[in-house]
Amino acid sequence: MKPPEQVIQRNRLLGEEVYRYNLDPGMELYVLPKPGYIKKYAIFSTRFGSIDNRYRVEGGEGIQELPDGVAHFLEHKLFEDERGNVFDRFASLGASANAFTSFTNTTYLFSCTSFFEENLELLLDFVQEPYFTEETVQKEQGIIGQEIQMYADHPRWKVFTNLLGALYQEHPVRRDIAGSLESIAQINPELLYRCYQTYYHPSNMAVFVVGDLEPGRVAEQVQENLSRRPYRPLGEIERFYPEEPPEIKERRVTAELTVSNPIIYIGFKDPEVDKLGGEELFRQEIIMELLMEILFGHSEPLYNQLYQEGLIDAQFEAGYTAEQTYGYALIGGESRDPEELYRRILEAIEEMQKKGISREQFERHRRNILGGFIRRFNSLEFIAYNFLGYRFKGIDLFRFPELLQQVTLGQVTAALEKNLAERYHAVSIINPRTG
Amino acid sequence: MNKEIYAKELPNGIRVVFLPTRKFKTVSLGFFIHQELREDLASSHALLGEVLRRGSRRFPDNIAVRRELERLYGAELATDVLKKGERHLLSFSLSMVHDQYGPEIPDLFHRGMALLGSLVAEPLQEGEGFKPDYLDQEKEQLEREIRGLINDKTLYAMQRCLSTMCAGERFGIYKLGELEGLATVTPVSLWRYYQEVLSSNPLELYVVGEVEPERVFDTAERVFSFDRRPREEPLPATVVNKAVEEVKFKQEELPVNQAKLILGYRTNIRPGERLFYPLLVYNGVLGGFPHSKLFLNVRERASLAYYVHSRIERHKGIMVISSGIEGANYEQARGIIEEQVRAIARGEISRQEMENTRRGLINQLRTGEDNPFQKINLMLDQAIGGQGENTEEMVEKINEVTAGQVAEVAAGIQLDTVYLLQGREGGSSS
Repeated sequence: MKPPEQVIQRNRLLGEEVYRYNLDPGMELYVLPKPGYIKKYAIFSTRFGSIDNRYRVEGGEGIQELPDGVAHFLEHKLFEDERGNVFDRFASLGASANAFTSFTNTTYLFSCTSFFEENLELLLDFVQEPYFTEETVQKEQGIIGQEIQMYADHPRWKVFTNLLGALYQEHPVRRDIAGSLESIAQINPELLYRCYQTYYHPSNMAVFVVGDLEPGRVAEQVQENLSRRPYRPLGEIERFYPEEPPEIKERRVTAELTVSNPIIYIGFKDPEVDKLGGEELFRQEIIMELLMEILFGHSEPLYNQLYQEGLIDAQFEAGYTAEQTYGYALIGGESRDPEELYRRILEAIEEMQKKGISREQFERHRRNILGGFIRRFNSLEFIAYNFLGYRFKGIDLFRFPELLQQVTLGQVTAALEKNLAERYHAVSIINPRTG
Repeated sequence: MNKEIYAKELPNGIRVVFLPTRKFKTVSLGFFIHQELREDLASSHALLGEVLRRGSRRFPDNIAVRRELERLYGAELATDVLKKGERHLLSFSLSMVHDQYGPEIPDLFHRGMALLGSLVAEPLQEGEGFKPDYLDQEKEQLEREIRGLINDKTLYAMQRCLSTMCAGERFGIYKLGELEGLATVTPVSLWRYYQEVLSSNPLELYVVGEVEPERVFDTAERVFSFDRRPREEPLPATVVNKAVEEVKFKQEELPVNQAKLILGYRTNIRPGERLFYPLLVYNGVLGGFPHSKLFLNVRERASLAYYVHSRIERHKGIMVISSGIEGANYEQARGIIEEQVRAIARGEISRQEMENTRRGLINQLRTGEDNPFQKINLMLDQAIGGQGENTEEMVEKINEVTAGQVAEVAAGIQLDTVYLLQGREGGSSS
C-alpha cells in the first residue's frame, strides 16, 4: 500500500499546521501536531444530525423518512456490540471516550495519554461495526427516556428549544435532538441499520486527530483500517428539508418550570442563510459575531446599564449560529423582569439602527474577537470539533483571522438592518411555576 | 516531563507559584484569597469578588475594566467562589494571549498583572466603605444566584444532601452563603472585612506560561506591594473524621420530570493519608467512570438512569453518589446502588476493574497537564492539602494501590445521608 498523499495547510498567525489526507473510499483525515502536549485527542464524525430525517441516496430506493431522535439513538447504540460495552475497552486502554449528537452531526471521541494507536484503532473499529438487537434497542429506550426527562427539567434547554419552535415553522431544527418518548418508541434495529448504511459510509465522515503526533503514521493507520472493510462506493446523499418561509411561526412562546427567576431568549431568524454557502456562510457568522459584541458586549454601555438595573446577570448571552439550512441570532438569559428586558433590547437595536456603529467600536471588538480566537487554540477539543464542524459546512477554520480582517464596517451595518429586523424575531419565556 | 515549578514568598507574605511552559498560546494567572468556611463570614467572602471585579481606582467601572481587557488583545477575566473542604476561596483568573501574538503592546504580561493587581489592591472606596451602588447591585445579583440554585436540579439535590449530611459542620455551609447573612452586609462592614483579609489571610498567585521567572517575581513584587501583617497560625484544617450514628433520610417533592437520588458517604480519609490513593481507586471502581460498577449496573443493565456516578470531595473525605431516575424506580435504584457498595466491601473487584480504574485515573492526571487552569487548580488543592507530589509521583502512588487497600477503604466507608428529590404532578409543562 502506498502512503497516502498529504496536503499541509498552515496558519502563520496561529503558528499551527494541519495535515490533510483523502483516504479511500472518500474519507478525509486531518492531523494537527501539538508538540509538547501529553494528551492526544481524536474525533470521528458523521454528517448526520437530528435534522437529517428525510433523505435519498443516489441510485438507491425512494425517499426515506425517520422518526425524530434516530441520529442520537444510533450514537448511544454504537457503544455496544456482541462483546458488550465499548467504554470498557477504552478504559482498559486508559482512554476516556464519549460521543455527542447535534442538529447537524454526530461525533465520537476519545482522549488518552498512552496506547494512542490502540485507542485510535478501537475508535475506528467500533464506529464502523454496528450491532443492534431488539433487546439492546429496548434497553436504550429506557436510558434515553431518562435523558429526555433530564432535559425537560433543564430551564436553559427548554427556553432554547421553545425559541427554535417559535422561529421555525417547518424546519426540523424546531424539534429536540433526542426526539420524544413517543418518537424513540418507534425505533427498531432494522431502522438503525438502514440509516447506518447511508450516513456512516466513510464518504460522509471525517476523522480529526490532534496531539504530539507524527501525521504520516496516523494516516497510514487509518488508511489500513479502512482498506480492510468491503466498502462499495455510495452515491450522493440527498437531504430534504421542508420549505421554510422566512417568516417566523409565532411571536411568543411561554412555559412554566420550577425556577427561581424568569428566563427569556429573544431570537432573530436569519431569512437568507440557506442561500449562502462555504466561505460566505463563514463570513456571515463573523459579521454577526462582531455585531452581537458591538451591541451587547460587556464593554458596552447597554450591557452595563441593564446589569446595574438588575435586568440581566453576568450569564447574559448574545450570539449567532449558522448552519447550511438555518441560522439565528439569540439574546437573553435570566431576568427579574423579562418584559422590560425584551422592550429594552428591541429598543437598543432600533436605536443603533438609527445611530449607526462607530469605527472605534468596530475595531475594538474585531481585535478582541481575534485574541479570543487565538486563546482557544490551547484546547485540543476546540480545535478538533470546530475544524471538522466547519469542514462539514465547506469552511476552513484557519481562514478565520483573514476573513475577520476583511470584514467591513459597512457589512456589519448592513447586517444590523437585515439580520435584526423586527419582523423576524420571536421571544421565548420561562416563568417560575406558580402554586 | 516534570516541569520545574518555582515558588517564592514576596516580602509581604504573598505566595507566588510559577509554572514555566511553552506549549500554551496564553499566559494564565490565578489569584486566590483563602478563608476558613464559616457561617458568619461566608456571605462577605462570596460577595467580595463580585464587588472588587466592578472596578478599582485605576479602572473605576466595569466598562473601564472590560476595555482594558480588550486592549490586552481579548483577555478573559473571571471571578469565582470555591469551597474546598472547609476552606472558602475567592478566585480571580485572567487568561491572555502570549506577548508574541500582540506585538503592538510591548508588555502584555505586565499589563495583565497590573490589572489584576489593581482590582485586588486598589479597591474603590467611598466614605468608609465600598461604593454603595456597586454593593447593592452585587447583593441583589448574589441573592438571585443563591435562590437560583434550584434551577439546576442536579446541583440543587447535591447541595441539599450535603447540607443535611453536614448540618452543624462548617462543610454544610453553602459556598455562596445564606440570604440572612447577605442581608446584613453593608459597604462599611465589607470594607473592614476586606482590609482584614487582605492584610492577614493567605494570598496566593499562580502563573502558568512562557515567561522568564525573574520577570514573574519582579512583576508580582511590584504589583502586589502593599503592606500586610500575615496571621501567624494557619487557617483551621477541615474536620474529616465523623462517625455515623444513624443514616439520615430526607425527601422533598417538586413538580419535576425526573427524580434525583443522592447518597452521601463518609470515607474518613484525607489527602496525605495512607489510604488516600486507594480511596481514589475505590471511587473509580464504584462510580467514577463509564466502566464503573454503578454505570454498568444501574444504567447499562437495569436501564434505570441516564447518569449515575460517584465523586469524592477530597478535602472533606466525603463521597457522593448522584443519579437521575424515574421517581417510581427509587427503591430499585437505591437497592442496586447500595448493592454495588456492598459488593466492593465483599472484595468483589476484578483485576480488570482495578486496572481500568488505575489507567483512567492516570489519564485524568496526565491530561490535566495540558490545561493551564486545571494545573493551577491541582497546585491549589495540593497547597491546601499540604502535599507536594508532582504528576508522575502521583501516578506512581496510583500504580502501587492494591486490591487489599481498596477493600480496606471499603470497610471504613459509611452511608450517612440519603436524599431524594421526588417529582410530583405537573412535571411536564409542554
